[in-house]
Amino acid sequence: MATDFYDALGVARTASADEIQRAYRKLAREYHPDVNADPGAETRFKEISEAYQVLSDPDQRKKYDRFGADFRRVPDDFDERAHVGGGGRVRYAQGRRQGAQGFGGGFEGVDIGGVDIEDLLGGFFRGRGGPVAGADQEAELELTVDEAYRGGRRHLTLAGAAERGYDVTIPPGVLDGQRIRLAGQGGTGSGNAAPGDLYLIVRVKPHPRYRLSGRDIHVDLPVSPWEAVLGATVPVTTPGGEVKVRVTPGSSTGRRLRLRGEGMPNPKGNPGDLYAEVRVMVPKKPSKRERELFEELAAVSDFDPRSS
Amino acid sequence: MAEYLLVRPVRLSLETVAARSGLHPELVRRFAALSLLECTTDADGRLWFTPSTVAILARIQRLRSGLSLNYAAIGLVLDLLDRIDVLEAQVRSQRRWT
Repeated sequence: MATDFYDALGVARTASADEIQRAYRKLAREYHPDVNADPGAETRFKEISEAYQVLSDPDQRKKYDRFGADFRRVPDDFDERAHVGGGGRVRYAQGRRQGAQGFGGGFEGVDIGGVDIEDLLGGFFRGRGGPVAGADQEAELELTVDEAYRGGRRHLTLAGAAERGYDVTIPPGVLDGQRIRLAGQGGTGSGNAAPGDLYLIVRVKPHPRYRLSGRDIHVDLPVSPWEAVLGATVPVTTPGGEVKVRVTPGSSTGRRLRLRGEGMPNPKGNPGDLYAEVRVMVPKKPSKRERELFEELAAVSDFDPRSS
Repeated sequence: MAEYLLVRPVRLSLETVAARSGLHPELVRRFAALSLLECTTDADGRLWFTPSTVAILARIQRLRSGLSLNYAAIGLVLDLLDRIDVLEAQVRSQRRWT
């Protein structure tokens, strides 16, 4: 809880009670762990709640303005005591009981040392009824097409109250939008109640060559004009490795070759298919000889692609 | 021939829900009366709840203590959050072209 309370609420130190309340209500609605599944939201919510609890109470706010982060350790009757003690010197927290003798009568019977902030704040999530289970959280997990295809282990870190790291096992063949559940890794429960779950939502990054449609993978298959006319066996790189594709003679651009089962693996059934779409490519700068041959072809051929 | 398994319905009694969520059974009954919890009533008038009820009760308490919502508002928030869940799932399943 190192953040300044005014910063936590995003208000100026001179803010009025109304401004503080307005800022708090707005942020509380935004970061409540049931409304905002982001793993960092819970910490943020606790922070704004603590800030508001202090700043909404005029006495506590005055003390906070005066003493800063340690204001809870300053006794309520600080001023009187400072007067009695004569020196304006205050000792608080550890060792205060023993130290009290040295100050005359002023310190007896006051017990404010070692206040645990969690004691003060625990109530936020406790409500009336004792332990309350934690909320579920969501985080995005960005994968390349190859990573989604192969699956495997992946280390990820999430910012939160304390930075958390996980080694996640990704099953082969996860799709964009699928959720991976990490049981018990969500929001903290109060008391001894169970924590919520953390859901990782898979985002498959766009790939320069592969396009995914469900479990099917579409890929362009560039071929030369003569390969397209005469037919050829050409290699094509897929997430599963290189495969050979037979281009049948007379394949124009747009012809789709289906490779059954070469799409995304499916842990619960049939894998998707891979579609290689023929794209006839021509040399941008043909050599002299190539040019001659094409000219000869142009003279001989009566093929008209625009006739039908 | 198809085989059918005998499955015990997964439902929780009022007492079980109360024990698992650490609440008084009367408070759980009141939440049901306020329609914050889905439940069914059997022939003997006993209330039965789904297993997700425990998580919903935790959410009710968090919303009440965290945003000082009253129970009518909590009912509305629960409904809206459910609707958002459905819509987000739809959006996710439509975004299959990458």
